[in-house]
Amino acid sequence: MIHLTNVTKMFDRFQAIRGVNMTVQKGRIYGLLGSNGAGKTTLLKMMAGIIRPDHGTVLIDGEEVWENPEIKQRILFLPDHVYFFPHTTIEQMAAFYESVYPSFQRERFTRLQELFLLDPRKKIHQFSKGMQRQAAFWLAFSTMPDVLIMDEPLDGLDAVVRQKVKNIIVQEVAEREMTVVISSHNLREMEDLCDCIGILHGGEMLFEKELDAMKTDIHKIQVAFRNGIPEQFAKQLDIVYKEQRGSVLLLIVRGAKQEIISYIQPFQPLIFDILPLTLEEIFIYEMGDVGYAIENIIV
Amino acid sequence: MPSKILSFNRGLFVQNLRSVSWIGIVHFLLWFAAIPLQLLMAYSQKEDGGIYLEWESLYSISATFQAMIAFTLPVLLATLLFRYMQGKQSVDFMHSLPVQRAELFCQQTVFGVMLIVMPIALISLLTAVCHYGLSFPMSLTFGDIIRWTWETTVMELFVFAASIFVGMMTGMSTLQVVFTYILLLFPAGITILVLANISFLLVGFPFEYYLSDNLEKIIPFLRYINLEATSLTVGELLAYLLLTILFLIFAIWLYQKRPSEAATQALAFPVLRPIFKYGVTFCTMLLGGLYFGVTQNQFAWILFGYIAFSLLGFFIAEMIIEKTWRVFYKWKGYVYFAAAMIVIGVLIHFDVTGYEKRLPALENIRQVYFGSSVYDFVENHKRPYVPFEQENQFLKEKENIRAVYAFHQQLVKDQPKPSRFTEQRQVVIGYVLKDGKRMIRQYNVPSDLYFSYYKPILESKEYKKNYYLLLRDQGYSPIRQVTFHHPETGERTLTIIEPKQIDSFVEALKADLLEEPASAMFDSSKVWKGDIEFLQSDGDTFILSWKKTYTHVEKWLNDHQLLEKARGDAE
Repeated sequence: MIHLTNVTKMFDRFQAIRGVNMTVQKGRIYGLLGSNGAGKTTLLKMMAGIIRPDHGTVLIDGEEVWENPEIKQRILFLPDHVYFFPHTTIEQMAAFYESVYPSFQRERFTRLQELFLLDPRKKIHQFSKGMQRQAAFWLAFSTMPDVLIMDEPLDGLDAVVRQKVKNIIVQEVAEREMTVVISSHNLREMEDLCDCIGILHGGEMLFEKELDAMKTDIHKIQVAFRNGIPEQFAKQLDIVYKEQRGSVLLLIVRGAKQEIISYIQPFQPLIFDILPLTLEEIFIYEMGDVGYAIENIIV
Repeated sequence: MPSKILSFNRGLFVQNLRSVSWIGIVHFLLWFAAIPLQLLMAYSQKEDGGIYLEWESLYSISATFQAMIAFTLPVLLATLLFRYMQGKQSVDFMHSLPVQRAELFCQQTVFGVMLIVMPIALISLLTAVCHYGLSFPMSLTFGDIIRWTWETTVMELFVFAASIFVGMMTGMSTLQVVFTYILLLFPAGITILVLANISFLLVGFPFEYYLSDNLEKIIPFLRYINLEATSLTVGELLAYLLLTILFLIFAIWLYQKRPSEAATQALAFPVLRPIFKYGVTFCTMLLGGLYFGVTQNQFAWILFGYIAFSLLGFFIAEMIIEKTWRVFYKWKGYVYFAAAMIVIGVLIHFDVTGYEKRLPALENIRQVYFGSSVYDFVENHKRPYVPFEQENQFLKEKENIRAVYAFHQQLVKDQPKPSRFTEQRQVVIGYVLKDGKRMIRQYNVPSDLYFSYYKPILESKEYKKNYYLLLRDQGYSPIRQVTFHHPETGERTLTIIEPKQIDSFVEALKADLLEEPASAMFDSSKVWKGDIEFLQSDGDTFILSWKKTYTHVEKWLNDHQLLEKARGDAE
C-alpha cells in the first residue's frame, strides 16, 4: 500500500506540490491524471524515492521510501524519458537489473522476448524512441516489482504494443497483486485500465475516487410529466446539474440507481430514462467550477 | 549502517568498468610516456653512444608534463564518475535504484581511487624495472621512485577529492571542472587580490611583506612542479591528506543533502547562489582594482576598475546562475553590494583603525629597519648570497633611530600617493620595539623631495659600514688582486697584485666610501667611471663601482702613475 500524507515540495520559489494526500491500495491500478505541470511527475518521483518531500511522509507498506533500499528493491520507476546507460545493450542492462533487484527473473526476461521482439544484443541507443520504451517495459516486467510506478508510459507506443503492455499490467495485477501507479494527461486511456483515479491540479489533489463507485453513484435522468413538473419533484434529489429542454427535464443526479427509480416512479412520469454517465461527463459535472480548468485532460 | 555503506555492488562496478575504466588506461599511458618511455629512450641513446640527460629525480624527467597529468586526469575522472548526477534522466535513474546515496558515493569514489592508484603503482614498478633492469648510470635511487610514487598519489587523490567536493555543489560537469581549478587557485588568488587592493587604498601598507614566498606553496600545481627541488614535508603531507579527507567527508554530506533536481543547474543548492554571486562580484572588483592599480596607479582609474569589473562580475555570475544572458533587470542585488562596498571603502578611506597614522613611541624603539625592500625585515630570513651593497639595514644608534623616525613622521604627515609621473623610490621603514613587537610600512616617494631625510641616514657611519661590503667588519677575506674594468667594454684596464699596493689602495678606497655623499649613493650611474673587482683569498670576488667622487682613489692612482692605465681610453 502506498500512502502519502500532507506532502509538499518547493522548487525554488515554485510550489510544485501542496499538501497532497493519496492512498493506493495493494493490487490496484491507480491513474494519476493532470494537465502538464500539475505535479504528476514530482509526485511519482517522491513515491520512487528520487525526490525527498519538503514536508509530509511518503510511505510504502508503512515505511519511508527515501534512502530505504529494502523498500526500493520492490519498486520500479519508469520515467517519461526512459534511461539506459550509454552504449549498452538490453542484455547488459538486464544483467545490471539482475544485480540490483533481487526479484529479477531471468526466465521471465527470456520469455518476454517473444512478446517484444527486440534484439537484446543490439545497443539500445540505436533503437527508435518507441522501441526504447518497449525495452524499458521489458526490463521492468522482468524485474517483477511489487510496485510499478510509471510516468506517462503509453505515450509514443503504437496501438498493438499499447494493448500488449496493458494486458501484461492487468495480468500482473491479477496474478500477484502488483500495485501500479500510472500518470497520464488522457482520461480515456485510463478509463479501461484503472481501478482508481486521482486528479492533480496546480500541485493539489482535487479529487480521488474508485471508478466503479463513481459510475454507480451518478446518473443522468430524462423525465417529462403530463402536467408540468410537480412542485415536490426535485426536492428530495441530490441534483448536480439541471436543464429544461422543452417539456423534458434533464438532470444529473447523485445516488443509487434503485433509490432514484423508486423515488421517481410515484410521480408517474410520462418519459423516464435513467442512463449511466461517461467518465468525461462525470468529471465535468463532479468537479463543477474547477472542471473547466481540467477540461484538456478529459477531452 | 556502515556495513551497508561499504557493501559492494557488482552491477555498478561492471557499469563503471565499462564506462569509466578507459580513463585508467589513459592515465597509465600518459604516465608511461612521461617516465618509463623517457628512460627507455635515454637508454637507447646511451647504447648508441648518443647524448642523454642525467636526471636527478623522476620529476626532472618531465616536471611540467607530470604536473599536467596530475592536475587534469583526476578532475576528468571525478567528473565522469559523478557525471550521472549532472543529467536529469541519469540522476533519476540512479537514485531510483535500491542503493543508498552514501553507498553510491563510496562505490564511485573507491573506483576512482583505484584508477588513480593502480596506474601510478604500475608505473613505479615499471620505472624500477627499467632503471635497475637496464642498469642505468644515473643517480636515480629506489628512494626517488618511492618518493615520486607517494607524492604523486597524494597529489592526485587531493585533486580528485577536491573535484568531487566541487561537483556536489554544481549540477553541470563543465562548471565542475572550472570550479575545481578555481578552488585550487582560490587561496593564493584571494590573498594577492586583497593585499594588492589594500595597498592601493592604505598608504604605507607593505604589500610585499605579507605576500610571502609561501604563496607559491599553496598553489598545488606549482607545488607539484617544485617537487623536483623540494620534497613534500611531513606537515605538507598531513595537510594534503587532511584536506583530501575533509573534501570527501563534506562531499558525502552535501550529496545526502543534494536534491536530485539539482542536475543541470549551475549551483546545486539555492543557499550557494548569493554566496557565489557576491563572491564573484567581490573578486572581479578586486581584479579590476588590481589591473588599473598596476597599469595606471591613479585613484580615479582604480575606482573605475572597481565599478566596471564588479558590474561585469555581478552580471556574469547572474548569467551563470540563471543560464541566460537576460539578467540585466536584476540590478537590485548590485545596489546592495555597492552600498556595502561603499561603507567598507569609506571605513578604509577614513582609516578607522588609524593604520596610516600609526607611529610607535620613540622611546619604545629598540632598532629601526630602513631600506628599499621589505624582504630583509622578515624574521629569520637569510639571503642566499652576500650583497656588495646592502641597502636594507637594521640600525641601532640613537641618531639613526631618530633620523628614520623623523622621516617616517614626515611620511605619515604627507601621506605620499604613488604616481607614475615623478621618479619614484620605494622606502621601507620598520621597527623592532623593546617588547619584541614589529611594525613595517612601505612608501613610494619622489626621491628628490625627500632627499634631505635620506641624507643623514645614508651618510651615517653605522649605515655606511653595513652598506659596503668593503667597510663591513670581517665582511671579506684578504684581497689578493684588484682589477679595474672599462665602463663600456668591460675589458680589464689595470690589475694590482702587489700586496702592499693592494693594502694602501683599499685604505684609499675605504676613505672615499666613508666620505661619499648620499647623492652619489643614491644614483651612482651619473658618476660612474668603471668597475673595480676584488679577488679574495677564498676565490670569491666582489665588485664596486668606481665613481668620480672617489678623490682618494684618484690620488692613489695618480701617485702610482696608474691613473691613465686604469682609465683605459675612457676619457
